[in-house]
Amino acid sequence: MSAIIEVSGVAKTFRQPKRLPGMGGALRSLFSRQFTEVRAVQDVSFTIAPGEAVGYLGPNGAGKSTMIKMMTGILVPSAGTLSVLGREPHAHRMTNAAEIGVVFGQRSQLWWDLPVRDSFDLHRHIYEVPEARFAENLAFLTSMLGMADYLDRPVRQLSLGQRMRAEIAMALLHDPKILFLDEPTIGLDVVAKDAVRKFLARINRERGTTIILTTHDLQDIEEICPRLIMVDDGKLLFDGELPRLRSALGSRRRLRLEFGTDPGPINLTTARLVTDDGAAKHFLLDSEDTSILDVLTELGNGYDLKDVTLEEPAIEEVIRTFYQSKPQLAATTP
Amino acid sequence: MKARAYAAFTVNALQTRLTYRHTIWAGAFGDLVFIFARIAIWVSVYGAAGAASAANGVTLPEMITYSLLAGPLLYWDYSRLLADVGTAIRSGDVAVYLLKPLHYPAYLAASHLGHFLFELAASTVPVAVIILLVFGLQPPASLFHGLAFLAYWPLSFMILFTLATLLGLAAFWLMTVQSLDWFFNAIMTLLSGGMVPLWFFPGWLAAIAGHLPFAWISYYPAAVYLGKLEPGQTLLYFGIGLVWLAVLLASLAWLWSRARDRLIVQGG
Repeated sequence: MSAIIEVSGVAKTFRQPKRLPGMGGALRSLFSRQFTEVRAVQDVSFTIAPGEAVGYLGPNGAGKSTMIKMMTGILVPSAGTLSVLGREPHAHRMTNAAEIGVVFGQRSQLWWDLPVRDSFDLHRHIYEVPEARFAENLAFLTSMLGMADYLDRPVRQLSLGQRMRAEIAMALLHDPKILFLDEPTIGLDVVAKDAVRKFLARINRERGTTIILTTHDLQDIEEICPRLIMVDDGKLLFDGELPRLRSALGSRRRLRLEFGTDPGPINLTTARLVTDDGAAKHFLLDSEDTSILDVLTELGNGYDLKDVTLEEPAIEEVIRTFYQSKPQLAATTP
Repeated sequence: MKARAYAAFTVNALQTRLTYRHTIWAGAFGDLVFIFARIAIWVSVYGAAGAASAANGVTLPEMITYSLLAGPLLYWDYSRLLADVGTAIRSGDVAVYLLKPLHYPAYLAASHLGHFLFELAASTVPVAVIILLVFGLQPPASLFHGLAFLAYWPLSFMILFTLATLLGLAAFWLMTVQSLDWFFNAIMTLLSGGMVPLWFFPGWLAAIAGHLPFAWISYYPAAVYLGKLEPGQTLLYFGIGLVWLAVLLASLAWLWSRARDRLIVQGG
């Protein structure tokens, strides 16, 4: 499958005028300008195939939005090459814009004073969507996102959840091949988040729209994106599937064995004892291949075993340890 | 070009203004007070000079008509345009326009045409009717001059639009255009003939102002309406105005591409 997005060795450096403190500093900076270089993105490479859903994850200031802006053609990379749908996005801004959809969680693209329907209609003219296709898409998106009861209300009267659904719907009205979302669930309540995630997953599955979304909410990734790209300090840390992240990190499952009476110390080769509270013992399973059965077989029948619980590591925890340790296992392209 | 899309922006701006239509009363009242004040000045100037006098061959009724044309009709309030551009740049919302297959200055022109039409219908025309009833207004000097005015009018709109947008884009470099706006507005009110027609200027100043693009905003269209230009001159100055417009549009296209580059290279 040929790639729909190819990013190779891309970097983005911003030059920011250095502001010197105080009045004297303000005066001085009028005459001599000093610049600080901010490296927002450094040597990032990845490719995305049509129909993929990719989560672009990283803490604040990791260069996520900068990357999205470069892929949508509103920022030019300082180094490296970038191709979206076979074109350099910033050099072909108009044609690129016509084939992609973009949603910014923090920036509205709807016309504030107009009813949602009118914003959609304007969008139809801008993207020259054929009338029949537009009506079809509008009906589909309205019912899928439950927008029927507020389609005729002005945007300024909508709740954030309603507005966000309208933003996403608008970005899809012209059948874009790629949908970019910059923090689409930011500030939404649980119900709205859930609606947005389910919808995006479905659009990706049924229409084959390629989705690239940035977020710090891991659940977004779990529910929408099989593939994950992690960045920090502008650098690529990980690129691959979520389960692979777990194994790459050696993220261990935790096994809790509860006994009727304290059996005394137990040493196993399949599991490593981490805490021993007497009757309750916690083990870590170091290998992905070890099954509960292996442990129980090794343990044998000689114990008064009451309960067994196995915990998958929470993805939040996986990622937290990942960022804290910042391992240099980066750039493992699949 | 997507003519339908840009037409939709015009309609949209109109619709948006209709949503806030109650705010127009303050605007219309302000216009009315302003034009009454100006007419009062001309009435007293002409009154002092004697009732039937004609300064530089211009009569008082002509001056009243000039005040209306050169003032609210041609020298429309571009502060909304400046504010729109300034806000879009400061907040970074201008990026939203770059994400769409759109030409931003053309979008601005289309939507501000909508605002202009709304103000024309809701404020300027009612004010003109009141002036007509209270002081009377002059018809165009001739059919030729009337038609020529209709050609000068869109030229005037585009020149003022382009100048104001150029000023607005300065926000990319300065981040604030308020002081610049203040300066620009003072210069332009004088040189456009929006306040005092060029024929009352000292000869040297009139010669300079008459060849700067500002004069096409208010002075030439109003002077043509009143028949103060010969047909030959009317056509000649229309041509010069078109050249000015082309120069200004080219500057706008250049400045916009610089601004866009700055935005996409440096991230605003």
